[in-house]
Amino acid sequence: MVRLVTHNLLACHVKGCTTNNFPLAFQDVQIELQEAEFNPEFVKNLIPRLEWGALADAAKQVGDTSLPPEEPDMMDDDLLQKLHHVLLEIHVIEGAMVCPNCKHVYPISNGIPNMLLAEHEIG
Amino acid sequence: MKNVTPTTITDDPQIHEDLHVHAIYDQIAAHFSSTRYKPWPIIAQFLSTLPTGWIGLDSGTGNGKYLPLPAERPGSVLTIGLDRSRNLLQIAQHAGGEAQSNIITREVIWGDVLGNAWRPGAFDYAISIATIHHLASYERRKLAVQRLLQCVSSKHGRVLIYVWAIEQDELSKRKLPPSGQGQPSQNLARGCEPGQDVFVPWVLSQPNSTKHNTQNVEETAAPSVYEAKTGAAAPNSEVYNRYYHMFAKGELTQLTHDAARGLGLCIGSPDGFAEANLRGIDIVQDGWERSNYFVELRCWTT
Ligand SMILES: [Zn+2]
Repeated sequence: MVRLVTHNLLACHVKGCTTNNFPLAFQDVQIELQEAEFNPEFVKNLIPRLEWGALADAAKQVGDTSLPPEEPDMMDDDLLQKLHHVLLEIHVIEGAMVCPNCKHVYPISNGIPNMLLAEHEIG
Repeated sequence: MKNVTPTTITDDPQIHEDLHVHAIYDQIAAHFSSTRYKPWPIIAQFLSTLPTGWIGLDSGTGNGKYLPLPAERPGSVLTIGLDRSRNLLQIAQHAGGEAQSNIITREVIWGDVLGNAWRPGAFDYAISIATIHHLASYERRKLAVQRLLQCVSSKHGRVLIYVWAIEQDELSKRKLPPSGQGQPSQNLARGCEPGQDVFVPWVLSQPNSTKHNTQNVEETAAPSVYEAKTGAAAPNSEVYNRYYHMFAKGELTQLTHDAARGLGLCIGSPDGFAEANLRGIDIVQDGWERSNYFVELRCWTT
């Protein structure tokens, strides 16, 4: 599945595409919400691993504006809940992710993103 | 006879893998998955020691059997599964969900283990189980290890790799080509015996002959006991020959060293390096377990 936590890790890997290749932009996405068990410690420990700006922006692209654009200094329980929802409960089922630099399109189908490259694109 | 047979790679390694690895796993996905359900102890142990909130990659996840772990702390870490076989990924997507009442969806990605579709150092840990032995040249196996080293944090990243060994468990009863026969594989790793390139048959039974699914199937990186024991295919079955590079003693550790050096990383404990701004890997353990070689390492910076 492509949840936003996964999207936050993905970067374009087309040959020669090494700058401005993150974050990939969502295109024509279809989403599904699936409840997940809230583990506050897990979410809290996840924060330093995230690119916050990219996450808040990706959330906006799929219609969720609950996160502040910049990482807040204080993390209260309410914000952890929101973060939990954004990271782990929004599933992108169909659509695509597009590289901001080279415009390569990575399709998503049945919840599985296709990150394979054609032979001439492999770095 | 459906035994392990030596082979020599004469075509392009990538084409060789497409024909003798990727196409086959897409064909046998469901049957293969039904025989792969029990996690190996060292891998389960590795996943149990990860701090809550860590994110990892399972490169070559297959049916995703490691994605639900650790069993005693479900949901404390997030492992993302990568595989080349889309049919296996469809199974991996719901790995471990059978016993649950609610739907569990795993994070899976269709990709190549030689790809690099991540922010550098995005993961805290990476595992690659029974995967790198399907790559058909030394250079490609080394690159696969380098991709693991690149995708984890240079400060604290942890990596665990398993591959199939020439030295087979007594219990596996796999019939191997006598030593000295067959072609030693192309192997540029220094200071160790070469591994061996082989075909290993997978006997895919038709739905009406599912007898062996209920047999006690041994869990190794390589195929189940059933395949090796079976002298001839049952009438309703088909045989697929999968390519494996069987690793020799010391070869996996040497490959890991070569991969690290190629990236300019130091090898050894960080305590042994006084200089600042160095990057390195420390091999925490390596060895042989049930017909496989494994290596576990930690990344460090000074
Ligand atoms: Zn790109």
